Amino acid sequence: MPAPGAIKTLIADDQQSMRSLIRTSLNALGINQTREAADGEDALRALLAQPANLVITDFNMPKLDGLGLLRAIRAHGPISKTAVIMLTGRADRELVQRAVQFGVNNYLVKPFTTATLKEKIEAVFGPLE
Amino acid sequence: MDPFESIKATFFQECEELLTDMESGLLAMEQGDDDSETINAVFRAVHSVKGGAGAFGLEELIRFAHVFETVLDEMRSGKLHLTDEVAKVLLRASDVLADHVAAARSGGSVDEGRTVGMIADLQGLIDQDRAAELGLNDDGDSAAVEEDFGFVPVVLSLDEPATDAPEVDVAALMAAAAEPVEVDEAAAPADAAPAWRVTFRPKAEMYAKANEAALVLRELARLGDVEVALDASAVPPLDQLSAEQAYLTWTIRLSGDKSEAEVREVFEFVEDDCDLEVTREGEAAAEVAEPPLAADDDASASAVEAAAAAPLDLDALLARVSAPAAEPATPAAPAPAPIAAAPPPAAPPPAQDPASMDVAGLIALAEKASQDHAQTQSAPAKAEPKADQKAEARAAAGPATAATPTIRVDLDRVDRLINAVGELVIQQAMLSQRVFESGLARSSDVALGLEDLELLTREIQDSVMAIRAQPVKSVFQRMPRLVREVADMVGKKVRLVMDGENTEVDKTVIERLSDPITHMLRNAIDHGLETPDEREAGGKGIEGTVRLAALHRGGRIVIEVADDGRGINRPRVRGIAVSKGLIAEDAVLSDDEIDNLIFLPGFSTADVVSDISGRGVGMDVVKRSIQALGGRISITSEPGKGSKFSMSLPLTLAVLDGMVVSAADQTLVAPLSNIVESLTPRAEDVHLIGGRDAVICIRDTFVPLIDVGVALGFRDTPLPPASGVAVLVESEGGGKAALLVEAIQGQRQVVIKSLEANYQHIHGVAAATILGDGRVALILDVDALVTTSRRKAPRIEKRMAV
Repeated sequence: MPAPGAIKTLIADDQQSMRSLIRTSLNALGINQTREAADGEDALRALLAQPANLVITDFNMPKLDGLGLLRAIRAHGPISKTAVIMLTGRADRELVQRAVQFGVNNYLVKPFTTATLKEKIEAVFGPLE
Repeated sequence: MDPFESIKATFFQECEELLTDMESGLLAMEQGDDDSETINAVFRAVHSVKGGAGAFGLEELIRFAHVFETVLDEMRSGKLHLTDEVAKVLLRASDVLADHVAAARSGGSVDEGRTVGMIADLQGLIDQDRAAELGLNDDGDSAAVEEDFGFVPVVLSLDEPATDAPEVDVAALMAAAAEPVEVDEAAAPADAAPAWRVTFRPKAEMYAKANEAALVLRELARLGDVEVALDASAVPPLDQLSAEQAYLTWTIRLSGDKSEAEVREVFEFVEDDCDLEVTREGEAAAEVAEPPLAADDDASASAVEAAAAAPLDLDALLARVSAPAAEPATPAAPAPAPIAAAPPPAAPPPAQDPASMDVAGLIALAEKASQDHAQTQSAPAKAEPKADQKAEARAAAGPATAATPTIRVDLDRVDRLINAVGELVIQQAMLSQRVFESGLARSSDVALGLEDLELLTREIQDSVMAIRAQPVKSVFQRMPRLVREVADMVGKKVRLVMDGENTEVDKTVIERLSDPITHMLRNAIDHGLETPDEREAGGKGIEGTVRLAALHRGGRIVIEVADDGRGINRPRVRGIAVSKGLIAEDAVLSDDEIDNLIFLPGFSTADVVSDISGRGVGMDVVKRSIQALGGRISITSEPGKGSKFSMSLPLTLAVLDGMVVSAADQTLVAPLSNIVESLTPRAEDVHLIGGRDAVICIRDTFVPLIDVGVALGFRDTPLPPASGVAVLVESEGGGKAALLVEAIQGQRQVVIKSLEANYQHIHGVAAATILGDGRVALILDVDALVTTSRRKAPRIEKRMAV
């Protein structure tokens, strides 16, 4: 049972408001070690500088989108084992399939509740303490 | 504030930016830009608005954004094509979306009929079956219902990620990652160290477009180890060499694990202007052998041209002459490409740190993966603009891929800082003056320290002012919508062209630009442009053009609003001015002067005061509000061709570089930006016209000589010219005059204090300031003084004292 406090999380979304919302939800779950990045490129830099356990990334971002970020993470040895949860604006089968192909761990449809977020994280790491 | 509420506030702030992005994208699309990047950006903006709206439960907004987004998605995937009609609908939809956002923000609501109508229009863009398939006819909620695709989450143990992996060879990892992950992509052969042989033969056009072979080669060198050989055999003898021809061919051996596409991508911007062969080493030795021969074409063609006129390019020639025979020469002709002879394992420029390279590399490969998801077919048709953009982007970005980081700061804080710095500048000036008066030597430590302080103060001030400088974009971007609405209202077809949106100006100025621009645009559409019928009859296109431009000129910002309409009806304007008693019936006025009559108070040409521009606000009010900012407005017009309003404003309302002068025992400041030169007039150069108006001859040109003391009413008897100093000034309109003052005290930066806010507007005076010694000095309005002298208006009788 992973301790929520131990899950180092990086939030990648181009909207400050969405990042804040996700962070608020994560904090409510006890996940307090969060960092934020404004686009995929930022996120990648942040990960290369300091790895994380979990990346929650939006799909639609400028510069490098969620799929690109996912692929870059999987392609890079030291961080390739990072868990990635992809946020999508709607349940897009094609997109999710593609994300699966690149090795996404889970996906989350916006708008979401803290409970759903918890479910999605638990599906990856097992029940949170 | 409730954290949720504050996040919501952030969201609405983001919406402003998103809506702006969306609109500028749509405007580009209206101009025919169907680049997938542009469409994507618009889609992303609408998508983000919807996403946020979902999070905050803004139902109305979600519903509309959903339909809008769906239509854009169709476009993105190439199922809906961009036409004029489509662009117009999308633009209107963007207006409605903006209204929805505004309504959601203020808790109001949007006219239901308008929304429904707009949704119907949007749906009309997609055919019915498809619309049903996309679930467009339901409200967006259904799409948000989570479906289960049989997705199985990939379980991970928390301990798994390596938090401090040993330093790995990132380049090798990247190379491995460069191989496509997908199964469906043709796997490139990854045999042991394959090499590419690239033959690159630029044509003259490539150089003519300012592309440099060296840059391309440098770019290529980033892909792997390169060995570059230059074939200069096609370079003709000196007397036949044409500097504008291309004679050089490079053969590059590139080893490294790259696909052909990657190699070719380096040449993306120049591929039309060069001969390029990319072959696997060993595969095509025969082809490789060929290039030197083929180059003869160029050479013989150019020999003919060169025989006619052989321009000499000394550098190129020298290079050719001095090149050792055996070694590849430094390129001749217009290609200044020292890298051509680069050492084989060309290392990337050292300035770049390896980490950022890695990110760039990873991104490059990842972008490809995701982009072909989003856009399947829109790209190929329009290689050119895209290439341009990319070239630009690349040129701008260079090695640094990250955008400049920004922070948001409350404007109040910036303003407080600016005020404080303003005071600092005054204080510093006062201190300098005190020290100077105290008789300390210039070389004393105190004086030297003060000098440093002055430099520092100046730097702080510049930096602070730069913080407030903003592109006029924020004002301009509101105008397309205004133009659309006004055009609809008056039944005219109008195309708005905007220029110079990135021109920067102080925030305080920006805020006050909006009203005058709005008014001038309304005026241009309502009065300036003809109706479509009239235009057709006049042999013009039905669609009128209004051009809104911003530019910097002489330390000021100039905003121009030009239309290609009917121009000013001068007889009518004159008639009105006479009938309203604004001018005498027999007044002799130049065309220019007649045009500018419309700025007189109480002048309005509209026969019927229309709903649009005649809201009781005449051009005189616009002029006054601009003058209040230290600005000017004028109009030029050509009958049948159109009119152009130009207004010019100071870049900042806070500080000014000025020349401190004294006249009639007063200390005055003349803005440095107006001053051309200063001189001591000789009595014989000054002439009186009509016994009263003095002119001075400066280098064979006569300009009015204005006695500042008299013009401002400080005294009645003019100063004998020879006992003063003449400061030659130039007004915004280009008019020149010499200001006669008693003495020049020195140059100083002064903090502008509005006179109007504290007293009232005085003709010839722009503002006031506080000098180093604590005295108040008036800042001259040079343009007003010059204009007055030119128009020979009656002398100002008002007396004043400070």
